Amino acid sequence: MTEALIVRGLDKTFSKPAVRDLDLTVHPGELYALLGPNGAGKTTTLRMVAGLTKPDKGAISIFGIDALADPAAAKAITAWAPDEAMIYDRLTPLEYLEFVAGLWSIEPKLAKARAVELLDTLGLAGEARRRCEGFSRGMKQKVALAGALIHDPKLLILDEPLTGLDAAAARLVKDMLQARVDAGGTVILTTHILEVAERMADRIGIIAGGRLLAEGSLDVLRGQAGKDGGTLEDVFLQLTADGAAA
Amino acid sequence: MSLLRPGGVPWLLIHEIQLYWRGLAGKKAGRGVGAWIGGSILLLVMLVGGVSLGLVLRRVDVPMVPLAATITLACCATAFTLMLSQTLAAASEALYERGDLDLLFSSPIPPRTVLFVRALGVAAGVMTVFLIFLTPLVGPAIILGHPAWLGLFGVLAALALLATAAGLSLAMALFSLIGPRRTRTVAQVLAALVGAAFFLTSQIRTILGKSASESLFQTLARESAEGRLKLPPIGWWPLRAMLGEPLPLLAVLALGAGAFALSALSLGRRFADAAAATQGAEAAAAKPVKGRDRAFAGGVFAATLAKELRLILRDAGLLSQVLLRVLYLVPTAVILSRNAAHGGGGALAGGAGVVVFLAGQVAGSLAWITLSAEESPDLLAVSPAAIRSLRRAKLAAALAPVALMLAIPLAVLTWLAPLTALWTAIGAGLAAWACGLINVWHQKPGKRADFKRRRGASWFATLAEVGVSALLAGAVGLAVAGLPLWGLAPLTIAGIVLLALRRSDAQIAKTLRLAA
Repeated sequence: MTEALIVRGLDKTFSKPAVRDLDLTVHPGELYALLGPNGAGKTTTLRMVAGLTKPDKGAISIFGIDALADPAAAKAITAWAPDEAMIYDRLTPLEYLEFVAGLWSIEPKLAKARAVELLDTLGLAGEARRRCEGFSRGMKQKVALAGALIHDPKLLILDEPLTGLDAAAARLVKDMLQARVDAGGTVILTTHILEVAERMADRIGIIAGGRLLAEGSLDVLRGQAGKDGGTLEDVFLQLTADGAAA
Repeated sequence: MSLLRPGGVPWLLIHEIQLYWRGLAGKKAGRGVGAWIGGSILLLVMLVGGVSLGLVLRRVDVPMVPLAATITLACCATAFTLMLSQTLAAASEALYERGDLDLLFSSPIPPRTVLFVRALGVAAGVMTVFLIFLTPLVGPAIILGHPAWLGLFGVLAALALLATAAGLSLAMALFSLIGPRRTRTVAQVLAALVGAAFFLTSQIRTILGKSASESLFQTLARESAEGRLKLPPIGWWPLRAMLGEPLPLLAVLALGAGAFALSALSLGRRFADAAAATQGAEAAAAKPVKGRDRAFAGGVFAATLAKELRLILRDAGLLSQVLLRVLYLVPTAVILSRNAAHGGGGALAGGAGVVVFLAGQVAGSLAWITLSAEESPDLLAVSPAAIRSLRRAKLAAALAPVALMLAIPLAVLTWLAPLTALWTAIGAGLAAWACGLINVWHQKPGKRADFKRRRGASWFATLAEVGVSALLAGAVGLAVAGLPLWGLAPLTIAGIVLLALRRSDAQIAKTLRLAA
């Protein structure tokens, strides 16, 4: 079986090491949550996978494609949605999706139908022809999410996707992500809301100081932390404390 | 009670000045040695001019005749127009660029105090610009024999205060009339038009033609000499004030200070309300974008071109700046058509060169916007789109408005002098393309808001654009003058410069990585 994502020996140093010798495997059709304290290296790792940051060392394979040797092919099946929405204030959501679809060379007719459907699903149909400049943070996040989904990516990477969303919007996004995974898509996300990871993730990776401390289902992590029956919060705090002590 | 009591006008003014100087120091730190050398040379040239002028005027007194008073009035009106352009833009921006306004308005300091200090800052800023240019020119004359001419600075201060009051009142009137969403756009365009009016007034001689403008001046001089040019007493005040007469100087200063105090203090509460209303106003009032339900553009090039053109067309600030540059073409276009109609070869060549030069400059500015001021660089970086396709589309988007801008002048010129039109079109196209390419090769990521003074652009790229545009302008000028073979020399040098500036994709990517 071709894994959705294989990361091996990934290294990145800015003024100090951000990611060190990181190995990560994400299976197709799973929702993988990458957790860690602030500055742990989560975003840097995901930016390297998305092709935004060049690693100093290591290998990244997305559905069997060497992302460092053939970035365009890897990007064609991947989507990246950061915590700060990558949108243009002076474009309407529909125009934004037209542009994003163009970047991924989606056939225009198909792209338009998909854009309308996505905006409708995300509750933005009424705002489709208004410029994004006055949108709330949550609305902008939803537009960006529609942009990430317009080319129907095999691997969807989201950095803090629920930041700034109200309860209803957060539920909507969670349902969409779950539906995507149920339909066979692969999702990697980072979040500080541990309950979300606990409830949604098939597997969880815990990273601190640029290293992967633990990886597996919640039960596996409980075993590693020696916290049988504990919440993800208990497990997370225990593992990151152990990691810091080591 | 201390004069610097926290919350008082002087206390807040000191805070504003501190922030202003820190901001200025921060900007200057990033400008590099080149800017300092350029500024120093300019200052030196102005100082040399000022000293020469001072020596010539040492024993000359300004005649107290109606003509002198009329010229002074015209100068004051021109300076006021230019100041108004700046204060109107500053006043409208103050409403939208929130900065610390929320903090200040949520504090117990009265809104009128906040506005008073902000407005004082605007007036001081405008005044400083004029002082920088006038002091080296007029200072020597004052020192060398005319100390009373210090009154000029008093008149300048009064004009700055008056322009601030007018700018502030105009911005608030616009706010009341057309609402928060449109005020920013209209104020920016209005400010650009007022600024352009200043420029066009200064070019009246060019636009009217030598004989017409001379006859206007001669008529004024004759009317004055024959005693028919009569001014009311108030019309003499600016001249008398500039020459240091105490009462007119006090009157002019009182007028400026009075208007300023009246507008700043009376509009304080309204300004606070308006500033609060701007937050979220764009969302509340945003109307759906008009247009039929059209199909999506297909492919990287078409989609990127459509996006860039939409962003350019919807940026009022950017458009007003481009409009300003287009208006600068007006006198040149007038010279060109007049000389084309009358067969004036030398001026025709010069005019064609200016059009080519301006085409390069506008294209360079727009190319910087589309290429370097990308709002979502990460979106492009995570897409599989080829960087070359993206660049081509962005360059095309930058060149399209230039083509549009030149279409009418070139059409008129084609009618009057087809060969000149052909050379101008080729030269303008080449200059625009070359300046666009320089921006591709020497990208420096920045924000769209920095466009106004090209603060975000690389100074090296800006210098290269000026050099290449000038060389191509020279080549076209020579071709139009009937010396096309001589024109090959600057054309070849421009080509060599472009080859030297050329960078590979890997080099561009490396620079961008370092900049990020």
